[in-house]
Amino acid sequence: MTAIAGRRRPLTSAATRRGPWVTHLLLLLGGIAWLYPFAWTLGSSLKSTDEFFGRGLNPLPGSPLWSNYAEAWQGASFGAYFLNTVFITVATVVITLLVTATAGYVLARTHFPGKALVLVVVAATVFLPHGYTIIPIFDIMRGLGLLNSLWSIIIVQASGGVVFGTFLFMGYFRAIDRSLEDAARVDGANFHQIFWRIMLPLSGPMLATVGLFTAISAWNSFFIPLVFTLARPELRTLGVGMYAFIGENSTDWTLLCAGSVITLAPIIAIFLVLQRFFINGLAGAVKQ
Amino acid sequence: MSPIQLNRRQLLRAAATAGGAALLAGCSTPGDKTTGGATTAATLAYWDWYVSQAPWVQNEIKLFQKAHSGIAIKKTTQVTDKYPDLMALAVRSGTAPDVFLLPKAPKLEDQVSQGWLTPLDKWATPAWQARFPEGSFVEGVNVFDGKIYSAPFSALAPSLQLYIHHGVFKEAGLVNPDGTVFVPKTWDDITRAAEAIATKSGGKVFGLGFGNAQKGALPWLIELFCRGAGSPGGTQSVDYRTGKWTYGTDRNYADFLTLLLDWKKRNFIYPSSMSISDEQARAYFAKGRFGMIVGGVWNQPAWEEGGFTDYSLVTLPSPTGTPQAFFYGFPGGYLGAISAKAKHPDDAWAWLDWFYSKEAGKRWVEGGYGLSIYPDNNDPAAVTSPTFKQYVAMAGTAINGPVPAIRNPDIAKVEVAPAQPDIPDVAAGIYTGQLKDVPKALKELEDRLNDALSTAVAKAKGQGLKVSMADYAFADWDPAKPYTTKRG
Amino acid sequence: MADTELVLLGSRRARQGRRSPLRRRIAGARWSYVYVLPMLVLLAAFVVYPIIASLGYTFYRWDGIGDPTEFVGLDNFLKVMKDFIFWKALRNTFLYVVIVVPLQLVIALALALVLNNPRLRLRNLYRTLFFLPVVTSAAVIAVVVQLLFSNFGDVVNDVLMSLGITNTYIDWLGDPTFAMIIIMGVGVWHTLGYNLVYFLAGLQTIPGELYEAAKLDGAGAIASFRYITVPMLRSVGVVILLLSIIGSFQIFDLVQVLTNGGPYFATEVVNTYIYHLAFGGASSTAVQPDVGLASAASFFYGLLLIVFAVVQAVFLRTLVSRRGGRA
Repeated sequence: MTAIAGRRRPLTSAATRRGPWVTHLLLLLGGIAWLYPFAWTLGSSLKSTDEFFGRGLNPLPGSPLWSNYAEAWQGASFGAYFLNTVFITVATVVITLLVTATAGYVLARTHFPGKALVLVVVAATVFLPHGYTIIPIFDIMRGLGLLNSLWSIIIVQASGGVVFGTFLFMGYFRAIDRSLEDAARVDGANFHQIFWRIMLPLSGPMLATVGLFTAISAWNSFFIPLVFTLARPELRTLGVGMYAFIGENSTDWTLLCAGSVITLAPIIAIFLVLQRFFINGLAGAVKQ
Repeated sequence: MSPIQLNRRQLLRAAATAGGAALLAGCSTPGDKTTGGATTAATLAYWDWYVSQAPWVQNEIKLFQKAHSGIAIKKTTQVTDKYPDLMALAVRSGTAPDVFLLPKAPKLEDQVSQGWLTPLDKWATPAWQARFPEGSFVEGVNVFDGKIYSAPFSALAPSLQLYIHHGVFKEAGLVNPDGTVFVPKTWDDITRAAEAIATKSGGKVFGLGFGNAQKGALPWLIELFCRGAGSPGGTQSVDYRTGKWTYGTDRNYADFLTLLLDWKKRNFIYPSSMSISDEQARAYFAKGRFGMIVGGVWNQPAWEEGGFTDYSLVTLPSPTGTPQAFFYGFPGGYLGAISAKAKHPDDAWAWLDWFYSKEAGKRWVEGGYGLSIYPDNNDPAAVTSPTFKQYVAMAGTAINGPVPAIRNPDIAKVEVAPAQPDIPDVAAGIYTGQLKDVPKALKELEDRLNDALSTAVAKAKGQGLKVSMADYAFADWDPAKPYTTKRG
Repeated sequence: MADTELVLLGSRRARQGRRSPLRRRIAGARWSYVYVLPMLVLLAAFVVYPIIASLGYTFYRWDGIGDPTEFVGLDNFLKVMKDFIFWKALRNTFLYVVIVVPLQLVIALALALVLNNPRLRLRNLYRTLFFLPVVTSAAVIAVVVQLLFSNFGDVVNDVLMSLGITNTYIDWLGDPTFAMIIIMGVGVWHTLGYNLVYFLAGLQTIPGELYEAAKLDGAGAIASFRYITVPMLRSVGVVILLLSIIGSFQIFDLVQVLTNGGPYFATEVVNTYIYHLAFGGASSTAVQPDVGLASAASFFYGLLLIVFAVVQAVFLRTLVSRRGGRA
């Protein structure tokens, strides 16, 4: 056994010496191609209109023109919409996490009459078409007196992600070793203490995962913020601002690129912060 | 046990504080942008869809607020094709803007019957009405049950023109003996011009371009060319001489589409025309990528702003050079209205009145946005831009045509179901070669539209309305002359 | 396990007498209900209720403004079934699923296998690179893709023509064939990141010792893929496949913003078809929107999807159990 391993070792290391270079080269080439649209957008956002046409597919600007950003920032009222979007995204993430973590926990780790029914209903909504009119939801919000407030956007946005989040948390909690819970119960911890003090802290990676997915959709949403802030356009979000901006400046290509970068940059930053957690989170959820 | 409890309480408290802070943030972010000062009595919400006309609106708001120190106007421009849906939702939630441009759907009649609008009679006195040209207020158009709800804003004008890029034409040698740029008037002229542009540039510049991403540009081409050839329905309505859609039976449509396909095959048409937007196409035209484009007068301000003025325009190109049919309008018309729920109706009226004033209309014409409803405003002499002057001079190619709903008001209640696919789709199908048999595709379209119309009429009859297909036919109509629809 | 529970239940019932065990169990699990309740409330109010409400609309002709009054029975369903555009849209949607799902999963799996190697340096950077398109909104993608093709599609055209590959200009997004290919390509680009991280997550659940042991036994890379990775990844893989299929069947915003379903329905998918019914067609034509018809179309599509899902689930189950039994 050792003899074989000993004989094989030089071969493997030779392969690994040459291998990584090829792998890295391929990955880098692929990555550059994959990110080319981003690079081109970023570069074009700094071009003048003449440069935009003159340089064509070359993403690098000749001399960076930063005024595009100032113009886009003001033109699309991004300043006013930025805080709305941050607030909506944060609140939507918090609500979604609370609602789906608690639901996912009890569905994974407790038994109660009616659980099977809950699971069937939740699963069925994945397949059934979601209504093609906003009117039922609009009427509910009107009844609650929440129209034209950021809360209506947050609630509707959060409800859109509960099914997916609940399933992910269910999978994650199911994979956590039961002995931890049992030990805490022996120590006299009650239901709430087990969840808040033991299970929830253990689910950090999943919180990051669901949080990230929720943040992406909340940040980019367009129609819901548009409809629920009809009477108060100052409550709009970046997504709505961007849409209007596209409509108003459809031939101001460099400005459009700058606007795109402004809307994308924060969500990319969030992703960069959370990304190292979230593959682990998903790994936990798929572990059976 | 207790430490856990304490922590839980801490957690809850922290959560509550966070929530409270969030709530505060939620309340403070909106902020009051209407800094009208303490004296501001009323803030009016005003909605429109004007994008390229926005400078005019902003200027009018500025002037209005200066004249009425107590009123502030909060403008919201809805730059989306969902304007009618947004309006409907706003009405539904009781937050409709005080003053707004009327959405295309539902029909104005339905907006009135559903109680969306305030009748204007209290302010729109006979004296006020008198400043409009005669026949501006018509029952069934902007007047319902004797009450006025809106007024016409602009005069009849040709909705589409063919624009010609002087630089491209000169480059291709398309110049008259006297040195002026050759202006094509017939279909053959256009073919020749396109050919010259393509040949002289070695295929780098194209004869004609359009931006069909919103599916509107191809129908515009058909509209402009076929009206010129004598199809009075264009792409807008039935041929009121017979009361029927005529895409298949009127040969002009097939002839024009065949010509268009021929241009495409000979590489006369800018290749990305199907996928770019109209705005992009206009910008490319200004850059000289192609020599001709079909569009409306709304093209002009943006070009002017971008410093492009070296072009001219012609309307209704036809096979013979003399237009056989025109653009048809109807008496009356509507644009702005006041919500039934307006909190300060008198102030809302003040703004609507300003919007419709002769002075505002004058600035509208001077800005090159279009024609004003007041004939005095539409004086070519007062216009500085030579291209807008050309447009003003074309006003004669738009005349009043028959209006079935005036002869028989019940016609307005007929609900015609949409025919799918309609002309924008069929035109795209023919242009991209997905519909190979042009006459057959057009005939099927014609049958679909006529079926939808007769079904709707039959249904309306069943509901006790006094309507028939004959209500759409005006045997005494000459498309070359203005027509006054008599009440039935 | 189940048997003991039953026995326990039985004995409890005997002891409790009058008091029903169900109520006791409900009372005992009261905190479970409290924890699951917020999710259920949101689900009921904003997902289930709109679905039920839309079911009601399917029987009306209704423009979505005011309240539905014109009852038409099952006419809307008949209309959808007779509409050739619906079937064309359905065909396009299936085409999209059949091409995009396998393409994307194969690329994602291959990338995941490479990036799962803990000795690969910079692997976090690469993960980030390939995941990044996921965070982009459709509106921004539309702007960028539109700009690239409409402004610089000519550059590609010139290259193709000078090489003699084509002899006319191609209107990339305006050509019935190329528009669909571009949508598929952008679709793969946009959502590959999800499948990549799902596969990475799945691969992380495979114990490293298995590979070590295989290596010691002299198994090469292909053999360990064949005999360790594939069997261990099978159950996760099925979930990823299902998610990917469900997601692809709901393809909407990319099509809406890139081509709006055109030209002449060449890229119309079912969701854009329904959207056009509900909100009217292109802005240039004043087509009356019909929310009733749109709801009928979406329910009909939902039914087709459920039938398809059941068939697929049965098929996959037999596949998993058969292969699982052999492995």
